[in-house]
Amino acid sequence: MNAKASKTHVTCIEPAYYEAITEAIRKEAVQILKDETVVGVVGYLPGRRKGTASPALVTTAEEAGKLIFSPACVNNLSVYLTKAKKGVLKKGKVGIVAKGCDMRALAGLITESQLQREELFIIGVVCPGVYGFGAERTGTLTEANIARKCRECSVHLPDGADVAAGTHTELADLTPEEAEEMARIEAMPQAERWAFWKEHFSRCIRCMACRQVCPFCYCEQCLCDKNRPQAVESSPRPAGNMAWHLVRAMHLAGRCGGCAECERVCPMDIPLNLLNRRMAKELKELYDFEAGLNPVEKGPLNQYKEDDDQSFIK
Amino acid sequence: MPQIITEQNLRNLIDLLVKEAKLVVGPKLSGSVVLYEPLAAGSDLTLDALPRRSSKELFFPICEDILSYKRENGAMKVTDVDRSKFPETVLIGAPPCDAGSPAILDAVMSWDYNDEFYLERRRKSTIVGIACTKGDDACFCRAVGLAPDAEGGSDLFLTPLKDGSYACKAVTDKGQALVAAHQNLFADGAGTEPVPFVDQAVEKLDLVKIKKWLEEHFEDPLWEKIADICVGCGACAFICPACHCFDINDEGSTDDGVRRKHWDACGFAKFTNHASGHNPRDVQNKRYRNRIMHKFKYYDDKFGKTLCTGCGRCIRACPVGIDIAEILETINGKED
Amino acid sequence: MHAETKQHDFEPKIVAFVCTWCTYAGADLAGTSRMQYPSNVRVLKFPCTGRIDPVFILRAFQKGADGVLVSGCHPGDCHYMAGNFHARRRFAAFRALLSFVGVDLNRLQFSWVSAAEGGKWVDVVTELTERVRTMGPMPEFKELEHEEQWSTFAGASADKVLNSPELKEAYDSIG
Repeated sequence: MNAKASKTHVTCIEPAYYEAITEAIRKEAVQILKDETVVGVVGYLPGRRKGTASPALVTTAEEAGKLIFSPACVNNLSVYLTKAKKGVLKKGKVGIVAKGCDMRALAGLITESQLQREELFIIGVVCPGVYGFGAERTGTLTEANIARKCRECSVHLPDGADVAAGTHTELADLTPEEAEEMARIEAMPQAERWAFWKEHFSRCIRCMACRQVCPFCYCEQCLCDKNRPQAVESSPRPAGNMAWHLVRAMHLAGRCGGCAECERVCPMDIPLNLLNRRMAKELKELYDFEAGLNPVEKGPLNQYKEDDDQSFIK
Repeated sequence: MPQIITEQNLRNLIDLLVKEAKLVVGPKLSGSVVLYEPLAAGSDLTLDALPRRSSKELFFPICEDILSYKRENGAMKVTDVDRSKFPETVLIGAPPCDAGSPAILDAVMSWDYNDEFYLERRRKSTIVGIACTKGDDACFCRAVGLAPDAEGGSDLFLTPLKDGSYACKAVTDKGQALVAAHQNLFADGAGTEPVPFVDQAVEKLDLVKIKKWLEEHFEDPLWEKIADICVGCGACAFICPACHCFDINDEGSTDDGVRRKHWDACGFAKFTNHASGHNPRDVQNKRYRNRIMHKFKYYDDKFGKTLCTGCGRCIRACPVGIDIAEILETINGKED
Repeated sequence: MHAETKQHDFEPKIVAFVCTWCTYAGADLAGTSRMQYPSNVRVLKFPCTGRIDPVFILRAFQKGADGVLVSGCHPGDCHYMAGNFHARRRFAAFRALLSFVGVDLNRLQFSWVSAAEGGKWVDVVTELTERVRTMGPMPEFKELEHEEQWSTFAGASADKVLNSPELKEAYDSIG
């Protein structure tokens, strides 16, 4: 349970590692439900298919005893605490199982006054990584089936959680695929960059999965659903798709915690997290802002300095 | 007499059809995903994976114009889409869970209103289905009354054989005509043994029993239990071979624009939102309930068919892992 | 008045989003002072640069603009105290995004033009217009407007095909 002790690098994460976390989560979740610290716990339950898991909102100690953590626990559960999912959870303090990347979303939501820390009991997971989409679900996490975002994870430790489950373990020698891909796109000539994104966005079917799973897309009225006046065409044509994805990336700039849920759920495999990462990089360079595990007073686009860069303005 | 076609000749057939100026659509690698797309040549055809989206978009496009309007000299001029220009189309390489969907959808598309956009495309298309030898743990076509070798919906049906060629069966006159027009590509004979099918985890469901349960349990704690986690996206409906809801939008200005029809999904919060602001399906689990009800009760009530082909796409794609086969099994196993 | 206007092969469409307190007044001053500047610019007035949503810029490009100008009060002069400070950060980020998806930033200009700077308005507009003129029409977003998913192609009438003469004509007439 002592996450900070030391970290180990291994070539594969065995099922036993996840089983230990599962045990710790169960113990904690059962406890806080029994002593009525919380009204419910948001966690993961196993799915019908082997090696799958899905989010669960449990309210009894009995159900809490079935919660799991495995490499299939990919979801960022903080989406269930937002306005977009209001009414699903009973009013009161809620327990939530959170990986480091999910914790960043929680911190962001607290920053934006959507959540209050006192209303949360965070069961943090010292997460070595989760499966990539479509990867082989063997129960063991290796270089071959780890998600792209996890290859360059910087938040293995859920600092700031009420309790933490797991010991710090990471896969050794992971290459940063996403960073490499981003550099590759940035190095392309302008027309090639446009062609790259055009091809990806044209495939979009506007199922809005990227919006619906995003903890930060909690607006009750999305700009992109409005047709009078219509700022972004709601029909799934290449023009409207391009506009939608640019609007989305812009609205998440300075807010996105990098959980990459948008990219994971995209049924058309559009590399959406690259856009978010690019914006995060820009805001880091310009305003030294980085989405972290601790809530801040204001995001980078909600504040300013008188001497901000204006070299691009005449 | 049974006939076979070699894989090379199947690809040659595609080349020929393209030369005949037909629109040939089949599974094709598009970026990192396999999708049904127009094939430029036989070599484009890829039969390794189930395409991410179903083949319904051939008849029911993601988005299509239904009319355009323009104000001219003070009067509004409306131009209809000339449906006679829809191309002759051949769909090749659709497994039964895709090939079978138009046969289900025909009923609703020619019910109280004839959807001429859909029906015209149907008239002009020939479907070459292929028996499915892939499959994974999300597949459940057998459970909803189909099978990996179900011919329903196909005009010509291919069965993969162990030597790499395909046994052909003309199911309809359209299929017969396609073979007759390209007879030199087909050879007589039964060929070798077929490639065996993959086992499915969900083998059989009692659809009558499930429908009866649904009739009696419009209100039931099950809905909250299974669907409170639904995040309300449209992924399941959009990639489904049978979901056919659409929305109509006028895009452009008040003087010049296009009326477009595009896919819609009952999972969206706005789907049943009234102009007054009232929403009869006010919470997500009611929206999800509609998805199940429509597929396994309402459609059956009206048309005597199940609105699901068991392709498993929604199971693979659901962002939160909602598993329709598991839900059906749960209902199937209920006592009351 | 337009005696000096030269004939060009290409007249770019420039959309200017300006704040009402400074740049709009500055443009007004240029007009009342009878200063000459290209008539390619179409001015849209907003309360403040802070009100100018990046989606407006996208929309302008989509609907046929070849260049976009966003202009407002100098830092410290904002009628609403800090609208332009916020806009500055937002547009810095938006530029990065546009560049990342392959939009040429030479088509997008930001400027601070006060109510007293009629001359600067003329300079900014002239420079942007001439720069965009040498770049030619902006094809990216306009082409995208006419593209369809393949299934729409297959369904819609033949004149929906992108390279049809009708569409070509419609496309050319935008420029």
